[in-house]
Amino acid sequence: MLAMSLLRRPGLVLSAAMTITVPGVLAVLAVLGHEHTALEAHTEAVSLGSSAPPASLPAEAQPAALPTAPAENPEAAREAAEMEKISGVRAAAYSGATDGQQALGMRLLGKSASAGLATSYQGVELIAQSSLNGAVTMISDVWHRGGGLTVTQTSDAAMLPSSNQPYVSYDVDNRTPEGVFGVTKTLVALLGTHYDALYQGTGSALGRPALIVELRRADGSMAARFWLDKRTMVPLRRDVYDTSARLISEDAFVQVQFGALTTPPGGAQTASAPAPSAWARAAPASLLAKLNGAGWRLPAALPGGLSLYAAARGSTGAGEVADLGYSDGLSVVSLFVQRGTLALKMTGWQAVTVSGHLVYVAGHSITWAGRGLVYTMIADAPPQTVQEVVASLPQNAPPGFLVRMGRGLDRLAALVNPFG
Amino acid sequence: MSHLGEQISALVDGELSGADLDRANAHLAMCEPCRAEAAALRALKRELRALAGRDTDDELTRRLLAMAGPGGPVPSRRLRREQYGRERLGRTPRGGRSWPGRASTPARGRYVLWSAVSLVVVGIGTAAFSMGGGATSEPGPKITPQLEMFSVEHALTFGDVPFPDPTQPATGAAKP
Repeated sequence: MLAMSLLRRPGLVLSAAMTITVPGVLAVLAVLGHEHTALEAHTEAVSLGSSAPPASLPAEAQPAALPTAPAENPEAAREAAEMEKISGVRAAAYSGATDGQQALGMRLLGKSASAGLATSYQGVELIAQSSLNGAVTMISDVWHRGGGLTVTQTSDAAMLPSSNQPYVSYDVDNRTPEGVFGVTKTLVALLGTHYDALYQGTGSALGRPALIVELRRADGSMAARFWLDKRTMVPLRRDVYDTSARLISEDAFVQVQFGALTTPPGGAQTASAPAPSAWARAAPASLLAKLNGAGWRLPAALPGGLSLYAAARGSTGAGEVADLGYSDGLSVVSLFVQRGTLALKMTGWQAVTVSGHLVYVAGHSITWAGRGLVYTMIADAPPQTVQEVVASLPQNAPPGFLVRMGRGLDRLAALVNPFG
Repeated sequence: MSHLGEQISALVDGELSGADLDRANAHLAMCEPCRAEAAALRALKRELRALAGRDTDDELTRRLLAMAGPGGPVPSRRLRREQYGRERLGRTPRGGRSWPGRASTPARGRYVLWSAVSLVVVGIGTAAFSMGGGATSEPGPKITPQLEMFSVEHALTFGDVPFPDPTQPATGAAKP
């Protein structure tokens, strides 16, 4: 009956259809045209647990079987003597005593940090890391003159060939801790308070003999494994695992040579033109106190045992930026904080929901706005830690329906108001 | 003198009796417009019956009759036009089968009006909702993080290689 009477009133049917369809189309157009969250970066809830593991590196660099009691094994005894020579720690340590094994592991990492600075090397690094929106794989040409200049040229492995400008840095003043795969003196010192570094014997990486050092958490689970070049002590490879024993990061040289250097990436001229730093180092505690005095509410430590250990101030076209570096020696998080709100168009960023908050992700960078500040985080840390860190910092709550409608009506009125 | 108004429908429908019926008949005798209206309504009723039950339900009839409106017995423009046509031509209008169904012009007008109002309200609501999202109107500059600068600083702080800004497309990539 209803259908019949509707059929007899095409005008009514048409009006009803228009009433439903036109606002629908308008809504879609409005959302597509206006919401910067949605279009260039389609919103998707990312399950942090499902991040793809990083691309696998050649399986060549597997650790050799752990050394057994060196006293009964002439080869191991010889190796122990060699360790003594390299590390300066009595090699009897690693013959079974855990404390000694750890002391040796820490000492080897410390030597490796120094070697990364002092040794001249050049090669190609493959860097594969899990990020909030999948795995990021980078290829980096690295050129380092011992005690001085470093030139790197890094590209996304998926976008090769690329003509990214090489980046040049100069560390002769030791102002910035150059290092290989995060093995720097500062970070190694931090490692000792959070992890047990255990020397686990010899293996090989990239066809070169290597010493293997593992980082273990307090519960005994493995956090990372390093392969240190036996001859030069420069790190050749680093694997990082999360608390679920999932491999979350693999950094390795896929090609390396030590000693005599050839032309750096980008040509010879790059080796003479270190870029002036746009950042001024600051004492972490005093910068934190100063910023918090201005109402910024920045923490001295982040979840996951990451403590503040480096700080700097820089300036951009949009004002001053504070950089706070947090680490436990292995996971590292740089938090860049500046006044303002996020731009309406976040081109190149992907909108992702993390801990119920809308954030924008690009590679291993995450940005969001909260209470008048914009936070940009660059993290080399397990996704769980990243999630906890994001949740622990201020966020702008999404507006309620009425607030949003009111704000929209205000903006509409401002648009049509000829006197506005 | 007031016209019959709504009573004219009751009269045509034979629902008046007694004093009401007498008064109505007395008024009709004196009032040409009401007589014409009654005649038109009776003719309409006949036509509707002739349509073999199509759209002759009471609801439609009542709505058609109510078209005279509260302002008086002056018929709608369409009725007047039909009446005028019949008087001039002495026959029923062409397409007569279809006009009872289409005679609800004011009703359709209401639909159109309501549709238009709904459209405007829903449209403005949708626009307001979508414009109300996004960035807040808090003071301060609109920031697009300078990832390249940040990435270099991050690399310096932690002894790693700086990553290229993933939000900037690599220039000169993949030449054929």
